Amino acid sequence: MKMEEMSLSGLDNSKLEAIAQEIYADLVEDSCLGFCFEVHRAVKCGYFFLDDTDPDSMKDFEIVDQPGLDIFGQVFNQWKSKECVCPNCSRSIAASRFAPHLEKCLGMGRNSSRIANRRIANSNNMNKSESDQEDNDDINDNDWSYGSEKKAKKRKSDKNPNSPRRSKSLKHKNGELSNSDPFKYSNSTGISYETLGPEELRSLLTTQCGVISEHTKKMCTRSLRCPQHTDEQRRTVRIYFLGSSAVLPEVESSLDNDSFDMTDSQALISRLQWDGSSDLSPSDSGSSKTSENQGWGLGTNNSESRKTKKKKSHLSLVGTASGLGSNKKKKPKPPAPPTPSIYDDIN
Amino acid sequence: MNKDAQMRAAINQKLIETGKRECFKELLRPKLTECVWKDQLKVHCKEVIKEKGLEHITVDDLVAEITPKGRALVPDSVKKELLQRIRTFLTRARWLSL
Repeated sequence: MKMEEMSLSGLDNSKLEAIAQEIYADLVEDSCLGFCFEVHRAVKCGYFFLDDTDPDSMKDFEIVDQPGLDIFGQVFNQWKSKECVCPNCSRSIAASRFAPHLEKCLGMGRNSSRIANRRIANSNNMNKSESDQEDNDDINDNDWSYGSEKKAKKRKSDKNPNSPRRSKSLKHKNGELSNSDPFKYSNSTGISYETLGPEELRSLLTTQCGVISEHTKKMCTRSLRCPQHTDEQRRTVRIYFLGSSAVLPEVESSLDNDSFDMTDSQALISRLQWDGSSDLSPSDSGSSKTSENQGWGLGTNNSESRKTKKKKSHLSLVGTASGLGSNKKKKPKPPAPPTPSIYDDIN
Repeated sequence: MNKDAQMRAAINQKLIETGKRECFKELLRPKLTECVWKDQLKVHCKEVIKEKGLEHITVDDLVAEITPKGRALVPDSVKKELLQRIRTFLTRARWLSL
């Protein structure tokens, strides 16, 4: 371009310098102008003189550098011991617990709606179960009745799984409280079997491992195939709790359902006897066992031994016999139906 | 003289086109803030405003009062550095367009 050609040749150092100075001056003037605009805007908007405060008020906001205080001069933990009055229930609550209390008191917040829903569901269940047991008169009464007390107790136990305090133990343990949710939560990952009723035990043992730990005396809540415990242990536990009528969920899977004849059963029994030498049922269900043995009367098998190990073979056979018809898959479900039938036969 | 003017215009144009002008500006601004130029100028501004009155101050007034002071207040180090860069740019521009 022409202009550029001119700039090329015509430049000598002095001119270069002059041009440089001009450019510099332009730049500085631009900066000044920018600054003026800023100031003018600040003046017109009214914030130009804001940082001019008198020294007295400056002292009020000086940074505090004393130990035990933050830079504003406030004491740490000052609000822990303070108590606030709840506007809803007019109780005085500790400051640190105030927010959760308010959440529950006003009925707003996630937890309280969850608890309310549970209560509704539980009260529906209770109504259904109780209307069978009690007279209609009792239900129609608005006065205190045993059922409402039950509900109240249940509610308290329901509260625990949701709230952040659920890790702490229940204040008053009675059979009902721990019965209502033995499956939901406990301190360790196990269940204390002492407080469980037979029905709960049975249902527990059909779904969970249930092996009692040596250290904690609690039942294992992991699945039926939990790797920590062997099938033998599970069998022991079931026999211990449910007596001779214990049907083991895994037994079916270990057996070959397809071809079942006496030779197989004999081989099975011998295998079981060898395997089950370690686990003997400590419970005194001897009488029931022998009666059961005689009741079933499996011919040659009976004559072999009348020891406790025998019942296992019976049980396994029972399990398989019932299982044959239903399914040949390895599932723990089938044992549930035979169990009541065994009782029926014995009794 | 026309040539000069044309030359200057051409250089300016080059400066803008290459983005060097903005570049220099961005260089200058933090330097001025750093060397307290802004604060000094602000003090001067306050005086001017108090003189003229807060309500009646205009941009023109401010510009007229402040620009000369501002130019004078720029520290030498900043001035030298900026000039150096400009010279470098010009030399390079000269050689490049050859």
